Amino acid sequence: MTDKPSSELTRLDICRRFVASVRHSTELGIEVLEAHKDRVRTRMAANPSLVGNPDSGVMHGGAIFALMDQAGGLANACLIFPSFEITPTIDMRVDHLRAPAPGKAVICDAECYRLSQHVAFVRMAVYDEGDEEGEMLATGLATYMRMKLPGASKVVA
Amino acid sequence: MTDGLRDLVAACRQGSEPYQALIDRVPYAAFLGIEITARGEELTFVLPKRDTNLGNPTLPALHGGAVAGFMEQAAIIFLLLEMGEPRVPKTIDFTMDYLRAGHFRDTFAECRVTRLGRRVANVHISAWQVRRPEPIAIARAHFLLSEESATEIPQ
Repeated sequence: MTDKPSSELTRLDICRRFVASVRHSTELGIEVLEAHKDRVRTRMAANPSLVGNPDSGVMHGGAIFALMDQAGGLANACLIFPSFEITPTIDMRVDHLRAPAPGKAVICDAECYRLSQHVAFVRMAVYDEGDEEGEMLATGLATYMRMKLPGASKVVA
Repeated sequence: MTDGLRDLVAACRQGSEPYQALIDRVPYAAFLGIEITARGEELTFVLPKRDTNLGNPTLPALHGGAVAGFMEQAAIIFLLLEMGEPRVPKTIDFTMDYLRAGHFRDTFAECRVTRLGRRVANVHISAWQVRRPEPIAIARAHFLLSEESATEIPQ
């Protein structure tokens, strides 16, 4: 993947590189499964150190929030591709609809549904792995600021 | 709630256990490295600078998700101590406004209960690095206060 010239990099390559460069996301074990222009799918494995309730073994809402924030940033990158911009989060709201199943990985889909000149609008949905067509665990809505870097408008290998 | 947690909350209030014991029982809080300091009953939560919480590697800046997780956990501990009869707070929703970049340094948070109802609590959380009046992020969250045993898995 690192040997490819920048012109051949796919959205999935870019997303995986990006996540690999973000220390906290690698600590959380976030993986990118799919990356399309209009949607990105990410995964976070169950991990005993992410448990929020030691009595039930349920994953902490904060870890899910971090996954969703990361997935939203990737959704922006997918839509902006092949250009590249840094998109810091302006705000994000998460609704926790139900508790994740203890010991199971979670899947987060994110979609940038409006890219204005300065702001990206993103929605996210979280599922138990294997139940991606089923009931959502959490939904998210976020805005991100588009930081256009002079001289860095193209993806740099 | 398990008797263990109820007893621990009581012990922390009486000063026979450090507040940190409430944090240390939560694996995710240890993962982030959260600490708690108390002056009397005034609690300040600390997210010490740790490279495992870094987001943007070039600035470097803290991961927004790590700061949000820190603030959510701070609110949960704060609520447990605020209630006469502690009940397990479950996050209903969490809304985060990022106001400034979180630099690679210690981050602090304080909480304020805007409304403590019978079933639902509304909590405001503010996080800062340099000066309290210059927060890097503020958050507003609703928590469901559950009477049920914490050993039961919700839904």
